[in-house]
Amino acid sequence: MKKVNLKTPSFNLKTLSKNPYLQFILFGLVLSTLPILASQFSFIKSAYITTIGVTLIYAIAALGLNLLLGWSGLISLGTAGFMGLASYISAYLTVDMGLPFEVAILAAILVPTFIGVLVGLVSLKIEGLYLAIATLAVSEILRKTFEEFEAFTGAFSGKAASFPVLFNSIQLDRATMYYFIVFVLIIIMLITYNLVNGQMGRALNAMRGSEAAAQAMGVNLLKYRLVAFALATIFASVSGVLYVHFIRYSYPSSWTLKLSLDFLAMIVIGGVRSIYGTVLGAFIVFAVPDLFLKQIPYFSQLSYTLNGILIILVIMFYPNGIVMIFRDIKNVFLKLFKKGNGNHVS
Amino acid sequence: MSTFIQILLRSLESGSVYALAALGIIIIYRTSNITNFSQGVVGMFNTYVVTYLFMKTGAPLWLCILGGVVSAILVGLTIDFLVIRHTKKVAPVAKQIITLGLIMVVMGIAPILFGVDPLNLPRLINDGNLTLLEANISYNGLFNIVFGLVLMFVLFYVLQNTKVGLAVRTTASNEYTARLMGVPTKTVTLGAWAVAGVLGVLSGVMIAPTTSVTLNLMDVVQINALIACVLGGFQTFYGPIIGAYLIGVSRNLLIYYVSSVWGGQILYILILIFLIFRPYGLIGKKTVKKV
Repeated sequence: MKKVNLKTPSFNLKTLSKNPYLQFILFGLVLSTLPILASQFSFIKSAYITTIGVTLIYAIAALGLNLLLGWSGLISLGTAGFMGLASYISAYLTVDMGLPFEVAILAAILVPTFIGVLVGLVSLKIEGLYLAIATLAVSEILRKTFEEFEAFTGAFSGKAASFPVLFNSIQLDRATMYYFIVFVLIIIMLITYNLVNGQMGRALNAMRGSEAAAQAMGVNLLKYRLVAFALATIFASVSGVLYVHFIRYSYPSSWTLKLSLDFLAMIVIGGVRSIYGTVLGAFIVFAVPDLFLKQIPYFSQLSYTLNGILIILVIMFYPNGIVMIFRDIKNVFLKLFKKGNGNHVS
Repeated sequence: MSTFIQILLRSLESGSVYALAALGIIIIYRTSNITNFSQGVVGMFNTYVVTYLFMKTGAPLWLCILGGVVSAILVGLTIDFLVIRHTKKVAPVAKQIITLGLIMVVMGIAPILFGVDPLNLPRLINDGNLTLLEANISYNGLFNIVFGLVLMFVLFYVLQNTKVGLAVRTTASNEYTARLMGVPTKTVTLGAWAVAGVLGVLSGVMIAPTTSVTLNLMDVVQINALIACVLGGFQTFYGPIIGAYLIGVSRNLLIYYVSSVWGGQILYILILIFLIFRPYGLIGKKTVKKV
């Protein structure tokens, strides 16, 4: 890094643009311009805002799963279950009990997180594959409960919710709800960035590498596993709450194994242990088939298949995720540039 | 008493469906080191092939099932040949996600080939009931139970007593060493995917008459088979089968005697609690970790 700085004349704007926090905020601003673009240009239909909003919501849950899978090396197939549970709790509290949105979101985070921490406790005993399928069982229990517990979830006919009212005074609609989602996503990205670059990130990295070595270095396995599971569940819950207040409906059929597998796909395609990669992965898995592939006549039916093929190809030939493509392209350009420079001098 | 036997027989029927699917998963896990999440979906695809053949050609069902078995072998071979064979260096977690990619591929192709409407597949033996100690079971159900057991018996005989079985077991225990000893591990893995495909289509054909043939035909089977593998332990070939029958029986008993609504969930919770005390399943052994 230092070498590069010495060679290139550094000026203030450049160092400023390297600041990760500013980058996140910039990213958020770019995302927030999408609805405005939608109203200006005809090629972005306003219905796309719903799709992009849901994509960003999924990205939040996927970031939580990335903390588990990427940084801690623990596999969970229960994300969809927790997300669904949070969505039902929030819908029930705001609609049936008439509680304010802030109370609902708090309850909708606390209850799933409690279950998530329990799973974290179990994860001390069960490992790898067994843990993955144990979390799958948890998710199935939750999904069956959504189907059967009609008074609370409305069973197969689903549970309705409305756009949230913030602080008892600001009524959100679809457009403002989208900005709210972007805001929450950026906050979550900042939190994730701080966590994984701090002491916790180092502890999780050590745990992933070798549990025994991590323990020997004084990393408390119980503490960090519980924290990792708690954070993953909190992120999933937040995304569940946003989902139910954005789509305004929650069905048991939304929270199946398929969604949990989609989250895995987002992380792997986008880039394991990469924050932007996770968001990129969410776009590739969810938004691209919906927004672009469906427009091309013959591809509309094949979009799901193409997505599957993309997952397989990325894993086989590009295991670090598509997010690395930007860096690789940049490196290629830098090389070309350097060569050109060198020729010039000689 | 008669209801108990009735439930038991029904459970054995669903248990054999789970057991066949679980056996497919465990065979692939042991030879390719992949948890195959696509076992159910590939079975679903080939069940569609059987149904489609049956509807379009009017051939007898058993011939159509043979057609399905052939297509299952072809699909299995294709998957291994095109994808799995080239993933030796991929991380274990990523390998599992490859099978998830396979799910998406199959789920996308199936409606294009077979349409989106639910299809119906009749039972292999259409009518006739056997009364056993005042409990009824259809001949078809009985056939499913017996056929499942016979098939598993044959597979285990092959695994334990033949040269092919020895090759599979050596590959399962250590692929690298097996290759050094001259075992054609590539062929073994190829065969494993074919066998798993056949087990998948057979479980699909067994479950199809109880519901309609849709894209979600095998979801329940897939999840129960995975949980059966965990319950029985991934270290042996027979553990998951015991797990599958246990799940089949206890699920129906819980649903009948405890709660028709919560029986399934209670079973999963019991399995989770069981796993805390025996993290490697019923038969599994703890693998010693070296630092």
